[in-house]
Formats: sequence, structure tokens, C-alpha cells
Amino acid sequence: MRLKQKVLLFTFGWLALISALHAYLNVNWSAILNEYRPPERRKITVAYIPVTCQLTCPVTDYISKLSEHGEVFLPRLFQGFPEIKEALISNKVQAAFIVAPLAIALRSQGVPIKVVYLGHRYGSAVVVRKNGPIKTFADMRGRTAAIPSRFSDERLLLFRAMKVWGMKRGDIKMVEMAPPDVASALATGAIDAFSMGEPFPSQAELAGYGRILFQAREYWPDYMSCILVVQQDLINKRPEVVQALVDGIARSGLWLDKSKPHREDAADFVGRFYYNQKPALLRWALTKPIDRVRYTPLAPFKADFDLVRDLMMETGVLEKKIDFGEYTDTRFSDGARSETAWKYEAGMATAR
Amino acid sequence: MNSLAQPKKWEQLFWPVLASVLFLALWHYSVAWTATKVVPSPLAVEKGVAELVRKGLLWRYIGDSLRRVALGFGAAAALGIPLGLTLGWYPAANQVVNPVLQILRPISPIAWIPVAIILFGVGDITADFLIFLGAFFPIVVACVSGVSNVPSVFRRAGRNFGLTPPQLLAKVVFPAALPQIIIGLRIALGIAWLVMVAAEMIAVDSGLGYLVIDARNSGKRYDLVVAAMLLIGVIGLALDLCFRKLRDIPSVRWGFRHET
Repeated sequence: MRLKQKVLLFTFGWLALISALHAYLNVNWSAILNEYRPPERRKITVAYIPVTCQLTCPVTDYISKLSEHGEVFLPRLFQGFPEIKEALISNKVQAAFIVAPLAIALRSQGVPIKVVYLGHRYGSAVVVRKNGPIKTFADMRGRTAAIPSRFSDERLLLFRAMKVWGMKRGDIKMVEMAPPDVASALATGAIDAFSMGEPFPSQAELAGYGRILFQAREYWPDYMSCILVVQQDLINKRPEVVQALVDGIARSGLWLDKSKPHREDAADFVGRFYYNQKPALLRWALTKPIDRVRYTPLAPFKADFDLVRDLMMETGVLEKKIDFGEYTDTRFSDGARSETAWKYEAGMATAR
Repeated sequence: MNSLAQPKKWEQLFWPVLASVLFLALWHYSVAWTATKVVPSPLAVEKGVAELVRKGLLWRYIGDSLRRVALGFGAAAALGIPLGLTLGWYPAANQVVNPVLQILRPISPIAWIPVAIILFGVGDITADFLIFLGAFFPIVVACVSGVSNVPSVFRRAGRNFGLTPPQLLAKVVFPAALPQIIIGLRIALGIAWLVMVAAEMIAVDSGLGYLVIDARNSGKRYDLVVAAMLLIGVIGLALDLCFRKLRDIPSVRWGFRHET
């Protein structure tokens, strides 16, 4: 009997302990409690993938948690664009960072979303195997290159370079791949090159099997790839929430571009708490050199998007012309114009 | 009517058609009733298929999928049947090889994808190889058990007629084991068809499995996703029906000794 009691006591104690630990360590309470808030006070969910083109998303979340108003939104990590697209279409997320052509394509297919802000500028590169057969872009003819999606600026970037080098559509074989898979594909020789956003070019460079053939800006001044889209429904019903989101992203952009220590700090907390990547990798991508990726200015400009749209039509991924005003809403970026960088340094307990 | 009663000729066709029509109607009205913008209606799917036909993709994709399955399944049958017969014929050899076979057998071909890509690159061979893996083991296992289940009186009778071992295997054991082998082949073909979808999603740029992933990547084209799913189902059914017809061939029927 005494043994039985002991076993029971131990079992219950063990169950209580692991339940408490699970609740403390694994459960995302802010997401669960959010479901029970009244709809007008519920926090929105923002989808992102682990690339530096979307670094402003985790940075805003991390710093805003320390500010007096608390977190602005709930970030949710995805591993690829198809999953984000499905979450957007089924209204599971209210805002998302996606590539600009995907936003234009989804809007033209009738998905009610609007582009409100950019995620970054520059920060994509074409990478080939180190000591491989590709020395200049001319050697890319007949090779296989991985791109994140047919609706991506990384694909359009390749087309811009192909135009300069007098290549035709089809001269480079392009395959769609989830960004986290490209590094190993390049290392094993399944592909000859890839066009991706950071930190994947840095990853290939750091590991020693990749060489950067060119950075996006060499063929595309003012290059941008990831942008922030928001559901039309949210814009109509709660514009102040969208404004707060855009303000937060704008402040993070300014903060990131302020100095190298800020970049290094961001690499550290984003790598550890958000992307599950090595901080050293992100530090490389964000600081070598510091303008490899930039986070200002992030307001959407018509000329940039017209360029993307025309390239999309030229390369056959968009059928009918769609106007800038139909898929963007610039009032939030206008509203964020006077924002200043977060007042936050590494180790500070509060941010303002 | 009880379960033994033979359904009438018109009933054999009428009820399945009615059930399919009801299913389509249910689908159509649930889409209309819920006013969903995500799930396509049967008409939208039909338009999607028409678009594929217009672009000349449909027949090419079906042809490519069938070719890959034929190659992978054919290779599995060509290697698996002789191996299975041999192992069934020599139980000692079977005892040696069986543990390895039984360990490899439950590994899903999908788990082989990373290794297959490293071995064969991204292309047709990888897809064929994955389909081959899916079909190979069920065929071997069916052949082994088919041969070992042949009653020993058949072999003794064969020997009394003066047949040499190869003749005995070809003229007595193989036909007697054929029903089990055919069941194994049929299961293997079903698995090959399943694996084809997964294999085409990663390795190649044509075929029905590719159509699913390609439609997913083209933004909001769930009409094409569902169209591909239905095509996979219908062609899978057609393949299975063809295989069932094999049982009606007289030389095969000989082995179904327990039936009247």
C-alpha cells in the first residue's frame, strides 16, 4: 500500500512537473490568449519566413515587446511562400511578408490584399559553386538555377541580367525551391546556381562552396523583393492597427540602418529567438558590407512596382496589366513618414 | 436481395453513375452554399481541365506520368519476380536475405528522396527510382510467399513426369503461384501510382504530381490542384481495372484452385 502511494505520488508529481514545464517553455500563450480577446482588440498575425528581406518583422516584435505599448502583432514563422500564400487566401493570417510579384499576382487573381510597405531593399544575390564551371554570367547559359518562386524578384533579377548578356527566355533552366533547401542543393551539385535573398548567399559563402556572382544592385538599382501585404478587410475595419504595424516596421528599419552595433544585436536576437539560424551567419549577411541589405527607405514607389509588373508580363507570369493603385495603399507609408528609429540599445530593459 | 444475389446488368452501371452524380451535386451545392472563394466548384475544375487541354499539357502530363510508372513498375517486376521466385524456391537463401528485405520494405520511398537526389540528381531517373522502390518489395514478398505456398504434391507430380528443376519452376511452380504474384503486382502498381505523385513533386517538371505542385505555386489556382487530384484518381482506377482483367485470362485462372 505504501509503495502504491509512493508510485502514485511520484506519477502525479512527475505529470504536474512536465505539464508546468511544457506550459512554461513550449506554449505560445500570447497566441492562445489572443483568441479570447474581443475581435476589435485582437492582435493580428503576421506571417514571415527566415530571410533577412523580412528582418524588420522579428526586429519590430522583439523591440516592441519592451516598449510601453507592448507587442504590436503576433509574428508567425513559415518555411516557404506557398504556405504563406495559402494562409493568406484562407484568412488565417491578416498580414504577411511576401515577394512583390506574388502580391501583384494574387491581387490580379482576386485575393483581397494590399501592399502597404516594403520589407527591405537589396539583399539578394546570385550564387554559383566556388571553383565551378560558371565564371561570368555568360557561363550560365544552359545551366540550372534555383529561384524561390516563379513570382519572385529573384527570378526577375535573373531575367534582367539575361537581357544585358543577350540571352533569351529558356537559356537558363529555373527551378522553384524553398529558400532553406538551396544551400545543400548547390553543395551537392543538384543545381548550378541560385538567386535568393540573404542569408542564403552568405550561408554558401561562409561554408566555402558558394561564390557570389553578383549582387542584385549591380543589375537592378533600388532593388526590392519582400514587401508587406495586409488583408483589405483589416484595412477597412481597423486602419489604426495597420498604421501601428507599418509604424513599427518603419522604426525598425531606421533602427537597423543606424549603426553596425544595431545590426550585430539584431543578428544575435533574431538568429536565436526567431529564425533559428546561427547569429554568426546573420551577422555576416547584415554587416559584410553593411549595405548588403538596407532597411530604408521602405515606402512603396510606383516606379519600382511598375518595373516589377512590366517584367512579370514580359516573362509570362502576369496576364493583364494591373495598376499600382489597385494593389497598394500608400496612406500608411505616408503616415509613417515622420517616425524615428526605436530608442533601444542591446541590454536595455525598456524601449521607446 | 441478399449479398449473394447477382446484380442485374443495368444495376452494375446505374448505381455507381448515380453515386458519382450525387457526389458532384453535393460538391457543387456545398461550394455554392458556403460561398467559399478557396475551394473550386466542379465547373471551375472542368474549365481548368479544358485549359490544360488547350495548352496541350494534359495529354503530355498524363503520358509522362504513365511512362514513369511503367518504367519504375516494369523494372520492379523485371527484377522482383525472378528474385522472389528464386528466394521462394530456395528457402535457405530466403532466410539469409529476408531480414534485410524486411528492414528495407517499410521505408517509405519518400524517405529515400534526399539520397535519391544525391545519387541520381534532379530528373527522370530519380522519379523512376522512387517508383521502383515503392513497387519492388511488395512484388518480391508476393512471389516468395506464392512459391512457398505451392502444394508439395504439385512438385512431386512434376518430378514424377521427369521435369528438370528449371522446367518445374517454369511449368508448374510459376503458374501455380501466379495468382498470388498477380495480387502482389496489383498492390505494387497501386503503390507505384501513389509514389509517382510524390516523386514528380520534387524531381521533374512534367506529370500529374508536378501539376499539383505547379498549380500550388501559381498563386490561386486550386481549380488545377483539384483537377490534378481527380485525374490521378480516375487514371489510378482505370489502371486497377485493367489489372483485374488479367485474372480472367484462362492460363491465369488455372492457379485459382480454391475457386469453383
